[in-house]
Amino acid sequence: MTIASRTEDSTMAMLNFEKKYRVRGGTLLGGDLFDFWVGPFYVGFFGVTTLFFAIMGTLLIIYSASQGPTWNPWTLNIAPPDLKYGLGFAPLNEGGFWQLITICAIGAFGSWALRQAEISRKLGLGLHVPVAFSMAIFAYVCLVVVRPVLMGAWGHGFPYGILPHLDWVSNTGYQYLHFHYNPAHMIAVTFFFTNCLALALHSALVLSALNPGKGLTVKAPEHENTYFRDIVGYSIGTLGIHRVGMFLAMSAAFWSGVCIVISGPFWTRGWPEWWTWWLNLPIWR
Amino acid sequence: MSDYLNIFTRVQVRGPYEPGLPLPRGDWTRTSPGSWFEYWMGKIGDAQIGPIYLGGLGVASAVCFMIAFEIIGLNMWASVNWDPVQFIRQLPWLALEPPAPGYGLHIPPLANGGWWLMAGFFLTASILLWWARIYRRAVQLGLGTHTAWAFAAPIWLYLVLGFFRPLLVGSWSEAVPFGIFPHLDWTASFSIRYGNLFYNPFHMLSIVFLYGSAVLFAMHGATILAVSRYGGEREIEQSIDRGTAAERAGLLWRWTMGFNASFESFHRWGLWFAVLCPITGGIGILLTGTVVDNWYLWGIKHGIVAWYPQSWGQMVDPATLVGAPK
Amino acid sequence: MNYGIRLSVGVLACVGAAFLALPMFMGFQAPGIETVQRGFRGEALGLVYHKTDEAALEAANKVPGYLPQLPAVGPKASAVYKNVKVLGDLSVGQFTRTMASITQWVAPQQGCAYCHNTANMADDSLYTKVVARRMLQMTQNINQNWTAHVAATGVTCYTCHRGNNIPQQVWFNDAGHRQAGGAAQGYTGKNEPSKAGVWTSLATDPFTPFLQHDAPIRVQATTALPTGDLSSIKQTDWTYALMMHMSQALGVNCTYCHNSRAFGDWTQSPPQRVTAWYGIRMVRQINNDYMAGLTGAFPANRLGPTGDVAKTNCATCHNGVYKPLYGVSMAKDFPELRVLK
Repeated sequence: MTIASRTEDSTMAMLNFEKKYRVRGGTLLGGDLFDFWVGPFYVGFFGVTTLFFAIMGTLLIIYSASQGPTWNPWTLNIAPPDLKYGLGFAPLNEGGFWQLITICAIGAFGSWALRQAEISRKLGLGLHVPVAFSMAIFAYVCLVVVRPVLMGAWGHGFPYGILPHLDWVSNTGYQYLHFHYNPAHMIAVTFFFTNCLALALHSALVLSALNPGKGLTVKAPEHENTYFRDIVGYSIGTLGIHRVGMFLAMSAAFWSGVCIVISGPFWTRGWPEWWTWWLNLPIWR
Repeated sequence: MSDYLNIFTRVQVRGPYEPGLPLPRGDWTRTSPGSWFEYWMGKIGDAQIGPIYLGGLGVASAVCFMIAFEIIGLNMWASVNWDPVQFIRQLPWLALEPPAPGYGLHIPPLANGGWWLMAGFFLTASILLWWARIYRRAVQLGLGTHTAWAFAAPIWLYLVLGFFRPLLVGSWSEAVPFGIFPHLDWTASFSIRYGNLFYNPFHMLSIVFLYGSAVLFAMHGATILAVSRYGGEREIEQSIDRGTAAERAGLLWRWTMGFNASFESFHRWGLWFAVLCPITGGIGILLTGTVVDNWYLWGIKHGIVAWYPQSWGQMVDPATLVGAPK
Repeated sequence: MNYGIRLSVGVLACVGAAFLALPMFMGFQAPGIETVQRGFRGEALGLVYHKTDEAALEAANKVPGYLPQLPAVGPKASAVYKNVKVLGDLSVGQFTRTMASITQWVAPQQGCAYCHNTANMADDSLYTKVVARRMLQMTQNINQNWTAHVAATGVTCYTCHRGNNIPQQVWFNDAGHRQAGGAAQGYTGKNEPSKAGVWTSLATDPFTPFLQHDAPIRVQATTALPTGDLSSIKQTDWTYALMMHMSQALGVNCTYCHNSRAFGDWTQSPPQRVTAWYGIRMVRQINNDYMAGLTGAFPANRLGPTGDVAKTNCATCHNGVYKPLYGVSMAKDFPELRVLK
């Protein structure tokens, strides 16, 4: 039994229409060398790098946890270095592990995006999926690279741990006295909630057309359009909703990155005080 | 590469307005003339604006909403003594406030929360009438009622915040004020009062579903756009008669992460993630102050609080010392 | 809509947006920050300072030069001068030095005539002399009985007055402002831009309940499950407003005194929280036992809109810095201000 396969289906991994799509090509790096599948997974050069970084990072997490006080998955904590180390390398048990794991994470996420690009190319698709994922990577990089660099120390990154990272979020927020007043945070939150609404509406609409109820026939896009025009006076249409959905989701990630980068490097006081520019406009000061 | 990425529509076609599918007997007629084309909307989606179906439920909902909107807005304006310049200037800070705690669940005087209660009543009525409209329009068009049931999820959260929880804790004062910054103050104070909401497991779940919805719609929007050159946005047709768009979309994810949804089943993933955000959020709010009074201490009880070494000694509450000043 | 209307609306919208965009973006600060870590790494307990803000604070909180101490030689001031009630045990030289220092700290422009009838330095005809006498006692009380807050650093008149007749950071009871009245929503004390609350929509006057009266500041339950803590969200709003003031008055943020995952937990709080706890009690005593009693002494133009006397809060002494005057002690050179007789 072969595990890796270029085109043959020797396991249950292939769908019944899949074989004709398993063609050569689309790769960005490495040519034919890693152009094969393992089960349902496409490998590719970036599949190899993903595996490398992911396994490396996971092992580092496990080892670092073993040097810490607990294995409790909720309280496990891999903390960034003290601020005193600035932008240099810290000793392994004093934040060095955090730094290595961060490098592995960025390597793994970047590899994943490039692998998505290779797969998209192989399937003759647009590169929208890796572009969308790259916005999420952007938000992560803002948190652990951009902002720490602007503030002069890796120690400003967030700790890797389920509850510890929430402690970091809470304390970072209160460093600015009332983080809800951060205007970019407001924009990001609005995009997150609007995205949630739009996903619910879109999913429900499609399902309502496909599952109209007992005895009724499956409906058409004309029904979808009519429904939304009837209830709110406008229907964006089947293509438009996917543009909007991608835009809302990517904007949520983008403004999240912005809201944390401006906190510290571009504003050090409490966020409510930022709004004094509005209160003190010359027209009504 | 110089692919066309289908982000904006390059060629907009104009034809007759789509009047919408015929409605059953008993329904109103749609607004007439009712439609126009908007070029900039056509760049991203359908260019046709309108017609809209008014309907009894819709009109009643709109009237209730306008009443609530006016109550809120006029009280805000009154709080700056009707000064129009200060109204605009201070608008983000202004609010219509729930009553003081001393009134419990009684109907308070107008000047101390009565208007808030009235606005809340009309807003709730408007929302529930709107829900009925969403439901009915689906039934009348022969669609499933999924949208209405999805809408029920944020209505649950809204009712928890403004009605069920105040009822359970015995005070309207605990509900949310109507106001841009003030409702954010409420959110922060709610978390402070109840021992940091990050430790509330339902808050954690709600965030998982909120962020997860963003992940999913990014994935789905991008996927459909990526296969739009094969007609992927025709989701209904692809679901019942799988074409190359659906096949390629599925394989994109199968090859990436080892499994995939189908054109229909993705929308089930999306719907559940999206509705579970307000559902679990509402549960988390409802449990706060009723079942749990301090989420951090609840976390201590359940072993989820991380330990950090501390560089200073443990402080003692000075109020507990003998002879402490008041 | 025709093209002309669309164009005009578009142009107007762009101009309006630019008019708002400029002050909005100017509202941010250019990079140039310092950070201080105050807890375990990754906890995000710490301070973030902007170098320009810090430079401005340093310029605003310089310690002035003052006369050197004099020895206790010669007759006592109470033997030589009439109507000396508080500083009588000083020598004449020491007494004069203290008077000169007070003048520099409180009335550098007006000189001795601000408090004294220069034809008869002993008489109490000017209200400022009566007030100053009581304030000397207040200063001695702070330095002697509130070491839990002021430690050995102590305070002098300069700590609050900074060369001004009236300290720049004082407060009066909130008179509210004109509301429409009638059936409309009444004044709630919040939901408007609050200077005390550092521009949140939290309470406009958190000082009256917490720094004049002794309303409870704590709002967190001390047990996971409900055991009868009836603090409300609205009370929390008010406590939050006080905390906003304290943060700004000291030029710090919430994590200076708290670990925000458990605001109420003293075992996770840095020592500064204990110091602040005593500071709140000290301010209450200043306002109630010293300032309140002076209400009748002040002329109407020195009183607040409801006729109350000016009162102190954290900013009065701290003036935007974590320790007044960056912790430099002037009181160490003024032993007469350190003991309440």
